[in-house]
Order: sequence, then C-alpha cells, then structure tokens
Amino acid sequence: MRRVLIRDPLFWLGLLLFASLMTLSVGNTLFRDGQVDQVTNLYSADGTLLATSPLEPSSEHWLGTDRAGNDLFQLLIEGAKWTIGVCFTVAFVRIALALLIGVPLAFRGKRLYTGLRLLLDGFLIIPISLLALFILLPALLLTDPALIPSMSSRALLEVSVLTLLGLPALLLYLISETRQLLAQEFMLVARTLGGSPFYQFRTHIWPHLLPTLTIVFMQQFVQTLMVLIHISLFGVFFGGSLLLFGDGVAPTIFEWASQFGYYFLQFTALSWINHMFLVPAIALALLVFFANLLTSRLERAYRLRRQQLIHAPMQELAEAEAAATQLSDPFEPVRISTKS
Amino acid sequence: MQSFVIRKTIQLIMALLVLLGVSALPGLIVQMRPDFSNYFKTVEQQLKLLTTWDTLTYYNATAAENRLLFPDLEPFVQETLLIFSSALICSAVAALLYAFLFYQAGPKIRSLLTQVTRTLEMVPDLFWVIFSQFIVIILFKTTGFNRIEIAGGADDHVRFLPILTLSLTTVFFFIKWLTGRIQEEQGASYLELARAKGIQSPRLFWQHLLPNLFYRFYLFFRTNIITILSSLVVIEYTFNVQGMFRFILINQDFSILLVLLLLIYVPFFIFDTVVELCIPRSWKGGIS
Repeated sequence: MRRVLIRDPLFWLGLLLFASLMTLSVGNTLFRDGQVDQVTNLYSADGTLLATSPLEPSSEHWLGTDRAGNDLFQLLIEGAKWTIGVCFTVAFVRIALALLIGVPLAFRGKRLYTGLRLLLDGFLIIPISLLALFILLPALLLTDPALIPSMSSRALLEVSVLTLLGLPALLLYLISETRQLLAQEFMLVARTLGGSPFYQFRTHIWPHLLPTLTIVFMQQFVQTLMVLIHISLFGVFFGGSLLLFGDGVAPTIFEWASQFGYYFLQFTALSWINHMFLVPAIALALLVFFANLLTSRLERAYRLRRQQLIHAPMQELAEAEAAATQLSDPFEPVRISTKS
Repeated sequence: MQSFVIRKTIQLIMALLVLLGVSALPGLIVQMRPDFSNYFKTVEQQLKLLTTWDTLTYYNATAAENRLLFPDLEPFVQETLLIFSSALICSAVAALLYAFLFYQAGPKIRSLLTQVTRTLEMVPDLFWVIFSQFIVIILFKTTGFNRIEIAGGADDHVRFLPILTLSLTTVFFFIKWLTGRIQEEQGASYLELARAKGIQSPRLFWQHLLPNLFYRFYLFFRTNIITILSSLVVIEYTFNVQGMFRFILINQDFSILLVLLLLIYVPFFIFDTVVELCIPRSWKGGIS
C-alpha cells in the first residue's frame, strides 16, 4: 500500500494542500499574532469615500471583505488550523478510543458482540448533527459577554461531545473488522501456537488493521467536518456562539464552518449569492472534496495492494496445476518456476 | 420462531431504553461540565413523559399558545416521509439502472463511468442544495420559468428540489456500493454456470445477480441510514420544508426529541423485522 501511495501524484497533491494550509495558518498565528486585516471604509488618495465593506474581491483583497471588514483571504488562512485541527483531533481520538475499547472486546466471545450490537442499535440511526445541536446549544450559546468560559474549556467540551457521539458506530465497525481477522486461518494457527492476545494483536492483526484504519480516519475526518458545517448552519459555532443584540449569533473564532454558518444566516435575509457567502462555501466544499480525494486514493492503494496479494499465489497455483497436467510421466520430478 | 420473537422483543426494549437515555443526553451538561444527577433527573422526566404521551404539548409560535403535539405533528411527519421515501425510490431506481449499464458496459466505458461517479460522490450534500437553488434562480432569470419552488412556507410545499438533492446525495452512495459488489460477484461460479448455459446477460443481471445482492444491499442501507437522515435534516432546514426535522429544530425540546427518536426508530425496527421474515433464505446466502 505504501509503495502505491508514494507513486500517486493525486495523493501527494491532497496531502500537500492540507500541509500548506496548516503551515500558513499556524504561521499566521505565530508571526502575525493571528491578525486578520480589517478595512471598514475605502478612501481614494484625496480622501473621498470609495466604498464600505463588504468589498468585492480585488487585487488588494483577494477574496474581498465581509461586513465587519475582515479580509476574507486572511480570515480563511487564520481559520484553517481550527477546522482541520478539530476534525483531525476528533477523528484521531475516536479511532484511538475505539481501538482501546473495541479490540479487547473483539477477543471475547460472540455473545458480547451481539449484545453490544443490540444495545447500540438504537444509537445508530440518530443523526449526529441533531444530537450535537441539542447537547451543545445550551452550553455554547453565550448570552452574557461577562460570563464567557475560557476558550479551551469550550473547545474541549465540543471536541469531546463530537468524539463520543461518533464513537458507538466506529466501535461496532472496529469490533466486527477485528473479529473477521480473528476468524482467519492464520489467526487460528497463531492461537494454537500459544500467542497471547496482545502478541496476536501486535504481530498479526495490527498490520492488517492499519491500512483500513487510515481509510476510516479520513472518513471520520469528513464526517466530523460535515457535522461541524451542519450544526453551524443551525447556529452552533465551534467554540461558542455569541448572541447578538436583537436577533442572530456570531462566531467567536474564524473557523471555516462557523464563518459559513454565520454568513448563511445573514444571507437568507439579504441579497442572495455574494462573495461573502460563496468564499467559505467553496472553501469548505474544496476541503471536503480533497479529504474525499485522499480517502479514495487510499482506498485505491488498498485495493491494488490486495489484488497483488491475492493474485500472486493464485498464479503460482495455476502454474503448478498446468505443469501437473502436462506431465507425460507423473512420477518424474518437475521443476516448477516459483517467481516471487 | 419463539426465539425470534423473544430476541426481537429484547431488542425493542433495549433500544427504547437507549433512546430514552440518548434523548436525555442534553441534560448531562450543566455549566460546561457533565452532571450525572441532573442527567438522571432528565431521564426520569422523560420516562414520565412516555406514560403521558397523548397529552404532550409544544409551544406554537404563530398561535402563541401551547398546543397538543399529536394531531399537530402529523402533517410534518407526512411531509418528511414523502420526501424521504420518494428520494429513496428515485435514487434506488437510478442506481439500479446505472448498475445495469455498468454491468453491460465494456472495460473502457466502465472506467469512464467509475471516474465520473467517483468524482461526483465527493461533492458534499450541502453543495448540491446551494447549487440546485442557484441553477433554478439562474433558470428563472434567463427564461422566466418559475414553476420550481426553491423554499417552502407554512402552506407552501417545496418538494421537487429537496427530493432531487436528497436523491443526488444517496444515489452516489448506492452506486459506489453496487458497482463494487458487481465487480466482486462477476467471477462467481453461479454466474459462470448461468453464462455457460447460454443465459443472456440482462437476464443474468436481473435474475441471478440482483437477488443475491438484495439482502446485503438492505444491510448496507441500514448501517448507513444515519448519513442519509443527516442529509435530510440539513435539506429540510435549508429548503424550509415543513417536515419533522425542521419542526424539532424550531421547537427544541427534550420531549419532542424523544418523540422524534421513537418516530425514527420504531418504523425501522418494524421494517427490519418484516424484511428478516419475508426475504427468502436463499437471498440471504443460505441454502433453502
């Protein structure tokens, strides 16, 4: 799988995109203190007012500015680390937890698995975004600016809620995957030879599980991103929503999904499709697209690798069979070519 | 049969308890911290609600009064059901036709089809929503054609676009699975035998391949229903469909959440049971 991926330009393109976005975003925080330029009014040289924000995209402001005058390009750069970081963390922690809980359970009997399936069955059809909305809205709707809890506690709460809500489905999947591997012949041999469960896992199951896990990781990444986008459409932004005077909510950080939800809530009342709304929408769509692209490249590499693995012995077998049928004297020793 | 009934009853009771626990989850977090005593209090409240479900009320903002939930919720449920089922039927039919085309096609067309669907399936559902609204507005601006609703109202049903966008998100989902299985099954010995007996390839597809995939397809559908429902939530919200997901987004209440969860789960449970009973064993891969 690794060999296929190294030679895959599309995979590298996707990876490069994510890496450069993260570097730019973290760089912006480190070297510019996370600053995003604000332009409220635009004047010409002699002082006459040219325009007020939101400004259309121009050579000065590549993607234009929003109503508060934030430069959208810088805003996207600054927010990228939140969007990618949150999805990455949630996906990673989910998989780590599912491994920690699921693998020991997979080594137990079938009854436990059926029981668990039965128990979690109800959990598997509820839209996560709906539940996340219900749990997070009361906690993250910040009505009183004086009583805002710290950013880290808000982020921790949201990340843990998102992680736990997606955990049951992943857990069941991982258990069934591990159980399938355990039913293989080589595992029977490993057990018979007396390998301890930990040894069995490390030497036999982990190498088989790892390629699947990378694919699952990307899937979880996209799923988390979609949940983030969905709940911010409903007005729950990552890290909390400030209740504005009158009606409406505003995000506290420049995270992409939150910005998208923020502009979406504004756009329904005002003029329709404008750059303010399109920029985060297209950015998010591209992010999802590239994450999906990475997933599909990983899947492809996995498939090709498996085809190679299955094909090689099949061919040898076919050669041996062909050689056996061509024998004039069946008891004469034959040399069967075994290419490896 | 008896063990089947017992198993299903246990499953139903367990699921109801879990859903009860899930619907009380919003009570778990108080002041940004998990608070278990408050959680159990909420669970207790929800339990009490179950016993008095026919007198449940919600606050109707238009009428500015509390009204009984049950007769009022009905049209919303109907609307959601209509959109969900017609989108499912549309996408299932489209996916089947595509699969047939894929099965008949030569290697060149196959790789072309795969490339196209692989690219299209990466598009997130929300993008379809915005894109379709955009197209309809452009259409209206250029030709004056205004028969397609892009957003619903209280008495205004918006159906075409929600069904279209939901179908678009699910169809690629189905297609991906179907083409994968077709490629897998193609070399299977029962198909080889049928082909050797001279059965034409359309009949091979509809009579031999599809029945074998049907039950697995149902299982696949069941495990991924969560994604489809998530899309439906967003679609109802963005198109302003007067459906039950939009209803709950407007009336955010624990009791309504519980009702909604039951309304989703119980039909699926019944459907599951019926499928398990009715589908012939040979379709499930057993020997009849």
